[in-house]
Order: sequence, then C-alpha cells, then structure tokens
Amino acid sequence: MKIVSDITAIMTGMWITWKHIFRRPVTIQYPEQKRTPYPRYRARIVLTRDPDGGERCVACQLCSAACPVDCISMQAAEGVGGRRYAEWFRINFSRCIFCGLCAEACPTLAIQMTPDFEICERDIMALVYEKEHLLIDGCGKSSEYNYYRHAGIGVTQPRGTGNEERLPVDVRGLLP
Amino acid sequence: MSYDPIDIGIMFAKIALVFFVILTLAAYLVFAERKVLAWIQDRKGPNRVGPFGLLQPLADLIKLLTKEDFRPAGSDKWLFYLAPAMAAIPAIMIFSVIPFGSPVTLFGHQVQLQVADLNVGLLLFMALSAIAVYGVALGGWASNSKYALLGSIRGLAQLISYELSMGLALVPVVMLARSFRLSDIVNAQEGCWFIVYQPVAFVIFLISIAAECKRIPFDLPEAEGELVAGFHTEYSGMRFGLFFVGEYINIIVLGGLAATFFLGGWHGPLLPPVVWFSLKVLAFAFLFIWIRGTLPRLRYDQLMHFCWKVLTPLALINVLVTAWWMVLRG
Amino acid sequence: MPKLIIDNIPVEVAEGTTVLEAAQSVDIPIPHFCWHPALGKAGACRVCAVKMLDGPVKGIQMSCMLPVMEEMVVSTTDPEAMAMRRSVIEWLMINHPHDCPVCDEGGECQLQDYTIAGGHGIRRYTGTKRTHVNQQLGPYIEHEMNRCIQCYRCVRFYQEYAGGTDFGVMGSAGRVYFGRFQDGPLESPFSGNLVDICPTGVFTDKTARFRARYWDYDMAPSICQECSLGCSITPVARYRELLKIIGRRNDAVNAWFICDRGRFSAATPVNNPLRPRTPRIEGREAGWDSALDAIVQRVSELLKNHGPGCIALVGSQRLSLEGMALLPELSTIMLADAPCYFCDERERVQTSAAVTGLTGAISASMADIRQADCIAIVDVDLMAEAPMMVLAVRQAWRSGAGVYSIGETVDLPCECTAVATLDDVPLATAQRPVIICGTSGFTTARQYVSLPMAKGEPVKISCILPGPNSFSAALFSHEHAAISLEQAISSGRIKGIIAVEADIPPELSADIPVIAALDWRNTDTVAAAQIILPTTAWAEMDGTCINNEGRAQHFRKTMNPGLPVHGLNPAGHPSHLHRTIPPGGDLRPAWQIIDELIVRMGGTRTTEQLNGKWEKLRHLDAEGDGLPIYEL
Repeated sequence: MKIVSDITAIMTGMWITWKHIFRRPVTIQYPEQKRTPYPRYRARIVLTRDPDGGERCVACQLCSAACPVDCISMQAAEGVGGRRYAEWFRINFSRCIFCGLCAEACPTLAIQMTPDFEICERDIMALVYEKEHLLIDGCGKSSEYNYYRHAGIGVTQPRGTGNEERLPVDVRGLLP
Repeated sequence: MSYDPIDIGIMFAKIALVFFVILTLAAYLVFAERKVLAWIQDRKGPNRVGPFGLLQPLADLIKLLTKEDFRPAGSDKWLFYLAPAMAAIPAIMIFSVIPFGSPVTLFGHQVQLQVADLNVGLLLFMALSAIAVYGVALGGWASNSKYALLGSIRGLAQLISYELSMGLALVPVVMLARSFRLSDIVNAQEGCWFIVYQPVAFVIFLISIAAECKRIPFDLPEAEGELVAGFHTEYSGMRFGLFFVGEYINIIVLGGLAATFFLGGWHGPLLPPVVWFSLKVLAFAFLFIWIRGTLPRLRYDQLMHFCWKVLTPLALINVLVTAWWMVLRG
Repeated sequence: MPKLIIDNIPVEVAEGTTVLEAAQSVDIPIPHFCWHPALGKAGACRVCAVKMLDGPVKGIQMSCMLPVMEEMVVSTTDPEAMAMRRSVIEWLMINHPHDCPVCDEGGECQLQDYTIAGGHGIRRYTGTKRTHVNQQLGPYIEHEMNRCIQCYRCVRFYQEYAGGTDFGVMGSAGRVYFGRFQDGPLESPFSGNLVDICPTGVFTDKTARFRARYWDYDMAPSICQECSLGCSITPVARYRELLKIIGRRNDAVNAWFICDRGRFSAATPVNNPLRPRTPRIEGREAGWDSALDAIVQRVSELLKNHGPGCIALVGSQRLSLEGMALLPELSTIMLADAPCYFCDERERVQTSAAVTGLTGAISASMADIRQADCIAIVDVDLMAEAPMMVLAVRQAWRSGAGVYSIGETVDLPCECTAVATLDDVPLATAQRPVIICGTSGFTTARQYVSLPMAKGEPVKISCILPGPNSFSAALFSHEHAAISLEQAISSGRIKGIIAVEADIPPELSADIPVIAALDWRNTDTVAAAQIILPTTAWAEMDGTCINNEGRAQHFRKTMNPGLPVHGLNPAGHPSHLHRTIPPGGDLRPAWQIIDELIVRMGGTRTTEQLNGKWEKLRHLDAEGDGLPIYEL
C-alpha cells in the first residue's frame, strides 16, 4: 500500500529529525573559537615578489579580465630596462568574492591568496586596497619562479641569456 | 450579561491578558522555532542576545521597528498598508472565543476564562479565518510585484481550499457536542476527548490548519526558493513584522482550537486547567516546528490535489459515517 | 567564373580569386598570417593549409597561393589539414619568447588567437630559442624582434605598399630579420601602419606602450580630424585618456591604412589636461548657467547699445555638422548677419567655389584615385595637406598610372613627371583620369572636366580642402550667403564675437570688446575671450563631418570627457572619491551649447538634430562607407 509506505517515510523523517534535536551541535563559536585555515585557503589577496626581490606583477591585466566581479583595476607602466610593472594596483575587497580566478589567471604567480580572512572594516573605503597594501616582501607559494627568466625579451638578463635561449643572431654574419 | 463595572473591568483585563500572552508567546515562538530548527540541523541557534539568546525576540522587534518602511512605486497605497493588519488582527481575534481554562471565581464573580462565549463561536472562527485570506490576497496584489502577485494567487487558492476541508472536519465535532459554542464543545469532552471518536477528522483538521498557517510543507504562498518571499516580498520593517507575527499567532490560535475541538480543551487530570491548555497549545506549536524541520515543500498541483481529491472527500465521508453512527445510536 | 566546393558549400567566384578569398566570401574562416587583403599573398606562413579532396590539384595546399579552378573540392576541416596547421603553429611558436603578459599585442594578437584556436597548448620542443637584438625605430614604434613569425607583412607594406626605403628584411633561413640597416626613426610617413599590420607583437605603438589591454579599450568608429580626407579610424581610450588610434577599413576612403599624422598627433590635444574644462567668465571659473547667462546678458547689452548686426557668430572648419546647422538659427535670434564660417576671405571664396563646383559625377573618391590611370597633381603639397592621398596615388602608380605634377615639385614615393601646365598631361587619352588640386587650383582644374575624351571616362577632380569639415562650412556659407569674419569686421559694425571652435587670427579680433569662445583647444581666441565655454573634443561626442569628396561620415563617441586618470591624483592611484561627473568632465558638445543659447535667447529647443535636407544623415551608419551628400 502506497499510503502506508508514504506515512512510514514521513514518520522515518520525523524520527531522524527528532534524534538530531539531542545531538551535540557542530557549530564553532567563531570569535571565541578559531580554526586554523589550510594554507590554500582563499582569502586576502597579496602581490608577491620574485626570488630576486623584484615585483612579480607585470600588470598584464589578466587578473582583472578574469575577475567576475570586476574588483581589480590597475595601470601598467614601463620601469627600468623596459620592465613592465603596475603603476598602481587596486583590489576592492568590498566587492571581491574570493573565487581565486585572479590567482589562477596570473601568468607570473604574482597574485596569490592567503588564509587571512579577518579583514573586515567599519569604513567600506578601507577595504579598497592599493598596491602598497597588497605588495609583500616574499615569494609566497612557488618561491623559485621568476617570470622574466622564462619570457625571452631580456629584462632581468641580457637578451638571449634567459632559460632555453641562444645568444642573439648576428644578422650581418655570412655563415649559414 | 450584566453591565456591572467589575464585569466590564474583568472583561478588559481578560482582553489585555490575552493580548499580552499571545503576543509574547508569538515572539518567543519565533525564537523557539529558530532554536529547535537549529538543533534539528545540529546547530546552536541564536545565542548571542542575552542569556541563551533569550532577548533575541526583543532585538528582532527593535530591528523591525527601526527598519525603513518602504512602499514600492505603483503599489496601491491604502491596500498595501491595510493588508498586514488584515493578516494579523483576525488571527488574534479568533482567540476571543477559545476557553483557555475552567471558570474561576474572582471577587465573588464567576469568571469564564474566555473572552466571549458566543453561541456561534465555531462559526465566528470560520468567518475570521476567511477574512485572514484577504491579508494575503490584498498584500500581494497591492505590492505591484510579480512575485508578490504569484504568491498571493497561490495563497488565495490554498487558503480557500483548505478552509473547506477544515470546516468539514469540524462538522462531526459539532454533531457530537450538539453546539457551536466552544465552551459546550469543551464540556462535552469532559469524559472522553473527541480525538478518540474522530481520529480521521482530527488528522484532516491538523493538516488543514498547517495549510491555513501557510507552514511548511504548505508554504507555497511564500516559497522562498521560487518567489523570493511570496506575497510579502515588498514588505519591510514592522509591516513585514505583522505578517510574520500573524503567522505565529495563527499557530497558537489554531493549536488552541485543535486542542479545544479534539483534545478536550482545558480538561486534564492533576494539573490546573490553564496549564493543561497551555501544554496542549505548545505541543501543537512544537509539532509544527518539528514538521517544518523535516518535510520539504509540496508542489502546487500536489497541494491542490491533496485537498480536493483526498481531504475533502474523506471529510465528507467522515461526516456521513458520523451521522450514520449517531442515528444508529439514537 | 570557376565553380568549386568548399566544405560542402558550392562557391562561384571571379577568375583569379584565391581559394582563401573564395572561402571568406562564404564566411568560412581560414587562418592566415602573411596574406592580407591589401598586400596580397606571400605564401610565407604556411598556416592557411587546406586539403584539396578532388579536382585539378590534390592534397595539402596553401589556400592563399592557389587560384580557384573549376571542379575543386576543398576541405578546411580535414584532419590532415588541421594537423598541418597545428604543427605550423607549433613551429612558429618554437622561437616565440612566450612573453604575452608583457606584450602590448596580447589580447589583440593574431598569433595568440590562432595558437589557441589551433589547439597547440603544451610546448614539446626542448631545444633553445633563437633571439634577436631590437632596434630603436624612433618615438612611435617599438620593436621586439623575438616575437617575429616571418610573415613578411611589414616589409611588404613598407616597401611595396607605402614605398618606404629605409626598412627591409635581412639575413636568411632561421636568422631572417626585419628592420632598418641601423637604429633610427622610420622615415616613411605611414610607418605607424606596421603596428596594425603585424599579426603579432613585433611592432607596437610606443605612444600607448603598456597602457591598456584590448578588452578594456573604449573604442568606437570614428573619423580622423587631421585633414580634409576624413579617413576612418578607431580611437582607443582608457581611463579618460585617448591612448592611440587604429586605422579602420573604409574601401571608399582610406582603404586599410592611415597616415602617421592622423595616428600619432591626434591624441595629444584631446588629452591635454590644460585644455578648457570649466566655463570661465573673465578668467574666473563659473557654472554653466552663469556663463551662458553672461553671454546672453552681454549680447543683449550690445544689441541695446549698437543695434542689430553687431554680433558676429563664427563657425569653423573643424566644427561638426550638427553645430554648423544650428548656428544660423542662433544668428537670427541674436539679430546678427549670417554666421561667418570662414575667417579668411580668400579661403572662403576659394573653398566655396570648390565645394559648389563639385558634383557627384566629377568628385573623385580616394577609391577612384587608387584605380586611376592618369593622375595630375596641381599645385598642392599632398604630403603636408593630405598624406593619405599620397598612398592612394602610389597605389595607382603601382598599377600602372602615370603621375604628373604641376607647379611646386612634390616629393612622392612614386615616379612623378613634372609638367608645366595641365595641358601637358595626357588626360584626354586616359581611361580614368583624376586631377588632384588644392582650393586655389580648383577653377583651373574644373575646366578640364569638359575635356573631350578619346575613350575613357571624363576627368574627375579631388580637391584638398583646408580643414576636416571645410566642405560643410562652405555649403552653409554658400547657403546663407555668409561673408567671412575678415569682411564682417572690416565693415566696423561688429562689437561682439561668439566663436564656436573657431581659430580667429589675433589681429582680427584685437579691437572687438566682447568675445565669447566655445572650444576644446587652447587657441588664441580662447586666450582672448572673456567668456569661455568648454566643448567636448571629437572623441568625446557623436558628430558628422563631410570630407573633401563630399562624403558625409558619422563619428561616434569614444570616451567620456574628463581629465585623464593618469597623473590626476598625487597619490599615484585614482582617487577614492565617488563622483558622478569626473573632474574636468563637465563638458558639452558645441551644438548643445548653441542650442542652450538659442533657448536662453527665447528660441525653441532643438529636439532632433540635422533637420531639413540633412535628415537622411541622422541615422548614418558610423561603421559604413558614409554617404556622398550629392545623394541627399
């Protein structure tokens, strides 16, 4: 009989919820009790430096293009030796949803996410982070990587001496 | 009825008492609901405001009172303002016919623990619960919002349908008590509660009042998942609060009626009658919360089919069987 | 007309069409680097490989090199062809520096697109990359040879199309190098097109270096305002700064390219932070209302003291058609004579003569010039007055046209015979002869239109006009029988001038007591004016202008007006303040200000621009070819 099985199903559900009333809650009382987030937790965003101490960010605009809420904006500029860097770099954390797409899009591993999630402010404008708030003095994850050693246009090293490169061609040479 | 000043004073005192108790109870029912739901879901529930979160209803009240009272452009101004009152006031008025204790003697006066012992009490309840439908219907319509309109159309159909099965479930009760007067119905159950004679009518009535309160699994007029907040989507502040508290007053009142009609009202052994009545009401309130924590929302067609194809025919058959049985018994 | 089948679609195209063009005609894209509609084929990149399933040739073929033949069956999606294209991309990427994040071409790079579209993602080659040393190519072009894929587009454009001699290809095999013999600025006045034509990031715009990415650009179809040719351009803006200008295809006018003047010098005045940005009365900043009221009040005072006709409304040859069309109404309501569209009397007479003398039948478009077979250049320095005309003349010369110059000798990138008069030019025996002249030579040139032709079409004339919208100015001037400002002032009645984007010579306006200027440039007139109303620049508004041929073209708003964000805040980053109007952004198009003045003088507000015979121009497609006004 369908009606019997239906009523049994409802009663089973009621019994399960009844039992749960007397279970110990799993709630963590946040401000008093704190958990240590995992290293790959996606919270406050930082800009890292390469192992040589230079800013990793080249202001390529990929993070701002990937950002689904358009909370990243920047202006690129040309530095010493033709190095491209961010003249200003802004993340509006009041808009950020911490999805991590920017860190995923970053070709130079400059933009990275840290487990520091307690960044609330009373003044919403204090959540607009400029470059000086974002830039840290370290490599973050992937401490070995330096983008300019791989990009073969010679900014941190003379042209033709980067990874997997030959010395520049002598155009006027006659040898085959 | 005499116009003795003491009688009139007692009358006002009863009204004030009922108001105070019902409103306080409704506010704490909200708190209780949040707590019980939290326990069901292995959470703690509100525990920040006051000891164990007990001042939460007060905080909620302050929040609701201080919120912006917002009216959408293009809404019907007066109906929009009227609708929340039409949802909450009839609910609390129904309580005037419910006897919540055995008569007591105060200052030499015999005092009925009932605001008004009408000889058509049951019919007044039916009439007032019919008026409550307007709160939902007009609130949704006056909002000038598609979600609110859809919610109110659903609510209208649902409340009118389930009123039918609710009324039919009460016919056997009236037949057994041979009166529409609620104190007569309670007194008729002194020996044996009507739930014993009328288990089917009780179940139908229970389901119907759940639908009348617009509670899960019958919360289609609100249906957060589909209609934002249904008929009260556009309401904010205390106007929303009236809809909200109206729902909980409805739980108390309909729980009280279920107790009156089927569980012997204030009758019970050992404990004082008022306590018995309160226990029964609270048991119903807990049942509603418990059901909310367990069951999902029905689909709209299932809701209407269940009423018109199951509950109403069943209630009619129940009436006929009761009548036949009473004729046989003489 | 050979018929062939491409990807199961039957196609019929003209003899001599390549398979690639035939496929494009039915919207089948075939990837290509070296092939370009303006440059033709080179067969250098090998990325347009298709498979010929049946017909006169079979197997994998380069679709850009193969002329269509009867009964060809072509597949662009054949696995073999796709594998070929993928491996071509893969070996093009072998020496690529993989520096897209720091490359300005990233986001608008054909190599990037085809690499991703072709499915090459992981580098398999383990060897080393070939590198090159870059050259300094002057202030406009950045050179990064490591990104080169040897498609030869740059050298084909520079040497063949534009006739440049100081840039070429050197080396052989894997060492092919595109550049100058030694460092130094590129000499060709069309060198900026290397940026547009390079399919990857070898040549990038130095003026917009590291400024923005393609997906962040504010872009709109627009018209160059640097000379009277009205070339189609796409200005690129970001953060309220006009970054660069890209050539836009318009087959009737500039075809694919633009000159360096239009590309590199148009942005500076628009971005100038010191250009008029707030209304000013006597040098003090004022609100729009008070400035407009001040003009109305001073005009009323002048009218009271000096009577009608004491106000001169001055238009200019760079004002948009919308503004010009409203000026006569304002002059009527200010009891002034017809507005002066020209300051100089001689310029007015000559331009009016040229514009009224041109008809649809004799006016030569730049497309006509590219197809001409005999071109006479009469007394006009094309390189200075209309550089793109030089490129058009060269294309005609490349296809065999004779080029003759009369009067001052001009330095053209093509063979040019100097002759004494037009009579010495073999116009009568030519098929499609064209005379290119300035306004001064128009009357002479006009006589040759009725020259009896031996076999060809009658002579067409292309007259180079002084300003971007001179044609409209002359039309209105003629229509309203307007005199020049020079004449108006010499009459001695003028006591007040309202200059609308007009460049009035200081000596003309020296004795005028009241001057109001509506302008977006810091001109002498603005400096002399008591009341200044800032207008929007062409990149900040919609508008219409008519080029030297009589072609009305619409330009669209590229960016919001306002001070460029760059350098605005001393903190280095944009301000944290929220405001609805950006600093320096409360500007209005000239026509709106004229309209507002009309309203304040008691006239009616214009609800629709361009009324009467201009109505057809209201919905002119800015991305189309424009509309010759002879058709109105």
